[in-house]
Amino acid sequence: MSYEEDLEAYRSQLLQSLSSPPSRSVSGVLEPIQVYVNERRVGELEGAGMDATLHVKSLDHIETIQLRTEDGTLLGGLVAPEYGYRTSRIQLSSDAVELCVHNTAQGGSLNAVFVPKPSFWSRMGKTLADVADRLAIRRPDAAIAHSMRTVAFTQALLAVMVVGLVLDRVATWMGSEQMLTSGIQPEALRTVSVTEMGKLEQQLGELARVQEKVGEALDLQVKGMAQLHQTMAKLSSSHESVASRVVMVKEEMEKRQESLEPETDRTTPHPASRGAMVDQEQLEVAISSLTEDNAKLSRELASLEERNQTLTAKLHMASMNASKAVDPNPERLLANQADVARTNQSLQVAETLQNSQTQPFLFWVTFSEGTSQESIDQWVHEKKGRKGSINEGWQEVRIVPPAVPPNLFLEQIRGEKIVKAARISE
Amino acid sequence: MQNTVSKSQVMADQTVTVSRLEEVVSTSDEFDRVVAQALPVLLDRATGYTKRFLRETGQWNDDIEHEKFALRWGSEYLERFLVCGRSEVPCRPLFLFDSLVAKQHSKPEPFCYHPDLLRPLGRFLDGLVARAVVSRDALIALYRHSYGWGAGEVIAVTGLNGLESQRIYKNFRRWRESGWQRTMDEIGLTKTELAELTSQQQRQRQRFNGEAERLIRVAQAHYRKSEPDHYPCLSRSQWREMFTQGYGCDYRIWHLALCLDCMQTAWGLGSNGSLTEEKPRLELLVRP
Repeated sequence: MSYEEDLEAYRSQLLQSLSSPPSRSVSGVLEPIQVYVNERRVGELEGAGMDATLHVKSLDHIETIQLRTEDGTLLGGLVAPEYGYRTSRIQLSSDAVELCVHNTAQGGSLNAVFVPKPSFWSRMGKTLADVADRLAIRRPDAAIAHSMRTVAFTQALLAVMVVGLVLDRVATWMGSEQMLTSGIQPEALRTVSVTEMGKLEQQLGELARVQEKVGEALDLQVKGMAQLHQTMAKLSSSHESVASRVVMVKEEMEKRQESLEPETDRTTPHPASRGAMVDQEQLEVAISSLTEDNAKLSRELASLEERNQTLTAKLHMASMNASKAVDPNPERLLANQADVARTNQSLQVAETLQNSQTQPFLFWVTFSEGTSQESIDQWVHEKKGRKGSINEGWQEVRIVPPAVPPNLFLEQIRGEKIVKAARISE
Repeated sequence: MQNTVSKSQVMADQTVTVSRLEEVVSTSDEFDRVVAQALPVLLDRATGYTKRFLRETGQWNDDIEHEKFALRWGSEYLERFLVCGRSEVPCRPLFLFDSLVAKQHSKPEPFCYHPDLLRPLGRFLDGLVARAVVSRDALIALYRHSYGWGAGEVIAVTGLNGLESQRIYKNFRRWRESGWQRTMDEIGLTKTELAELTSQQQRQRQRFNGEAERLIRVAQAHYRKSEPDHYPCLSRSQWREMFTQGYGCDYRIWHLALCLDCMQTAWGLGSNGSLTEEKPRLELLVRP
């Protein structure tokens, strides 16, 4: 076979397969229909049960929908609009699939419903409804059209009944004419006729009421159907969101498991957290020792103050005694002078200690970039401090001397969010 | 003289057909009628566009393999147009067809092109995997053609339940009855080429399977993109969880058929220890 013949044979074969219409039924058994969205398989439809409908929601726009058999035969399809709805009923021999695609800016959704071949009785009903349909106005919406058909059918039934009654009436008149010829009085005839007319009117009135009731019931049914559709749509979307959340949670759990698996011993804490715990323990020990030292210093200060007061009193006494009389013993005088000198020295020490407690603690600090002046002021206020001069970006801050040693205090300061650096010397 | 007259007659007919395709059709039935009369014209048009795409992307050679490749994809586009175009009425069929083909060619990697996939073995594998994307029968048959398994083994490997198992038997039956032949026709493999493939397989089994494994990986990597987004490759622990929990039936069937590596990874999980052999290697079967 030459190059061209081979190619022509292939082309003819392809054209032949394209010409033959697809059929869904294989050996009389209906197989599930595969549904493809944008040429990706998304699910399948079956003739019965839960799989008779398929709802697909996609983050991407839906471009095409295809229905295929299990052997891959393309049964039907739909090109979706860029935005908005499109519905299509794809006839598959006796069955059908109704597709409704909706594209929005957020993505697309597809509703596919398998509509099986109707039974004999439903076909009968449909035939009757079709007859009635000719008398009614057709509307595009399927649910409304259905109810309109039913109303039209009822109207047709009423018309038949009215025709029957009219015929009955004509027959009565015919009978009355015969009776008239046979010598019955016209007055009696008129009475019968009026009575029957009254009955007829009553029957017509009843029929009209029944028709109204049927109409109301149908309206209610249509509303109920609309609500049901809305509820179904909501349920479907919530089901999807729940399902997607479950998948997300599962994935998250898997990720966590994966990240934990390489660790040989799960009970061993992370080195970083272990280091942090050690640091915290050391800090706690340091703080407790500092607190003890502080308490000891306070006690010493108190005792020194007591002693100072005693000494002041003694000095006062001594000076009084000295002013009253000069001591004849010069050695004792010298001793007293020495005592006074010692007392003065002690007083100076105590004063120095007191000064060191009352003198503000001064340090320099720089703040992180972007820290507002308000935040800085608030921070200084929290420290019960006072701002001083600023030198090359370093802010002078004076505070009440801290309870902890200066270096530790500075470490604490540096750990704060808005503080970039801190130091004592300028 | 007579030949010239008939050629000019054909050209005149084509012009009439094309002009009819340019007019508006209002109903689906009218669309079917007009398009059915113009199938050869539309096939040639789609083939021409595909050739042009291949030339412009530097993938064209003047040989029968490339011609067949262009024809195959032209036919594929025409098939989609026949079923989807009906929903687009009222429309001008010719312009709709052109836009559909242009849309296909504007996608990244619209078809799986590799020079080695144009030779008979490559065409066979490409056709088989491409068909598996749109046909469940072909998908299940991939297990048969790749590893030589029967329905029971496929059920055991994929860990399916009773209801799904029945479908596997049906898939196998349909593939044997019509699916395989139809696929061979679609990819244009002649009887001679198929016989040559079988002969190669018998003469140089190892080399043949090695080459098949290399090529099937190319095809699988391309066509796996047609799976749902949530069907990626998994680790053995993830596969194990899926098998033991009994979910992801479709996932197992679709992904394992289209991924040699995952088949190795998930080997033995679905069989509860009944499959004690070594991990499966590709042993290509040409016939079902």
